[in-house]
Amino acid sequence: MNTQIYRFKKLIAITLTPVIFAACSAGPIKPEGADMARNKLIQLQSDPQLASRAPVAIQEAELAVRAAEVPQEDVGLGKHLVFMADRKIDIAVFQAQSRLSEDQRKQLSEQRDNARLDSRTREADQAHMEAQIAQQQAADLQRQIAELNAKATDRGLVVTLGDLLFDTGKATLKGGTIGHLNKLSGFLNKNQDRSVIIEGHTDNVGSEESNLNLSQHRANSVMAYLINQGVHPSRIVAYGKGEDFPISDNESATGRQQNRRVEIIIANTDTKQ
Amino acid sequence: MIHRLTIMKVMGTHKSPLQLVTAVAILFSLVACATVPQPPNQELAAAEMTINSADQARAVDYASAELHEARTKLAAARAAVQQEKMILAQQLAEQSRVDAELALAKAEATKAKAINDEMLKSTDVMKQEMQRNTGDKQ
Repeated sequence: MNTQIYRFKKLIAITLTPVIFAACSAGPIKPEGADMARNKLIQLQSDPQLASRAPVAIQEAELAVRAAEVPQEDVGLGKHLVFMADRKIDIAVFQAQSRLSEDQRKQLSEQRDNARLDSRTREADQAHMEAQIAQQQAADLQRQIAELNAKATDRGLVVTLGDLLFDTGKATLKGGTIGHLNKLSGFLNKNQDRSVIIEGHTDNVGSEESNLNLSQHRANSVMAYLINQGVHPSRIVAYGKGEDFPISDNESATGRQQNRRVEIIIANTDTKQ
Repeated sequence: MIHRLTIMKVMGTHKSPLQLVTAVAILFSLVACATVPQPPNQELAAAEMTINSADQARAVDYASAELHEARTKLAAARAAVQQEKMILAQQLAEQSRVDAELALAKAEATKAKAINDEMLKSTDVMKQEMQRNTGDKQ
């Protein structure tokens, strides 16, 4: 405080010296613009965001304004002092603004980090959710396949329908045993990207030609049923294979029963399973 | 410094106030008459140094008007020295220096503000992206 008062006094002394020297007749007057400089400084000093942020520069500006406020004989000197004061205030304002920006930066940096963290967390949550959904879908598919009693083969999933679906020599589906086919149509409707091949097979009883016809008709019946259940025809192909592809011997009744069958091959898709 | 010493010497030897005043008056008149005005070398050097600092802080990009003003005044101060208008030279040198100081302060403030604006912008972009992402999923 003492040094400030000393500096103040020194400034006044310096300012007054030329006045003492000058032996002019006109009385000293307060330089034009000194009041404006004072107002500008007051504005800075009462700015809550800036006032405390450049104490040294504001003090210098204060001294310069005080010097400019001293009445002067020499108009040129007065102008000079007002100019100096005005510039010192501007310098103080910019220094305070720099400091303010620096102080705000911490907060901005925190905000940015939070935003970044939020977006990362959200991304991670989303990825986690997507993974869970995919896992769920895969589990569902496994369950559906298990329910179909399907066997995984090189050709795809094979569902074998026994001859119990049909009356002997007939191609009409029996009403009571179509629960299994309903599961299949349900599966195909849920998995639209899969297509099916339906193959009818018989035993070797009867002529080859009639067996071929019967197997074709039975395959067609299954296809018609699936189409009726909402599976698009373009996804289904039906073949009658006759008696040429037995899976068991035709010597015993059990063997022949196993050979009378309709096989539904659910084609593997490239993307899944 | 020499003047002050002289005054002190005078004050030390002449105790009476009248004598002191006389001595000071004589001294002042002597100084006024005899002293050849010296060029304000210190002020000129200070102005030049501050201009260089402002230059290094790339003030020309952010406060070119103020920097130009400082240079113009420094040149004018040197011209005043040539014409032996030393008081004017000193004032111009002082003004040149505060112009350069202002250019420097303005450049620093503008740069600091630009950094903050950039940070604010990137935060906003991140927030917007996040909102858009969640919007997609819903």
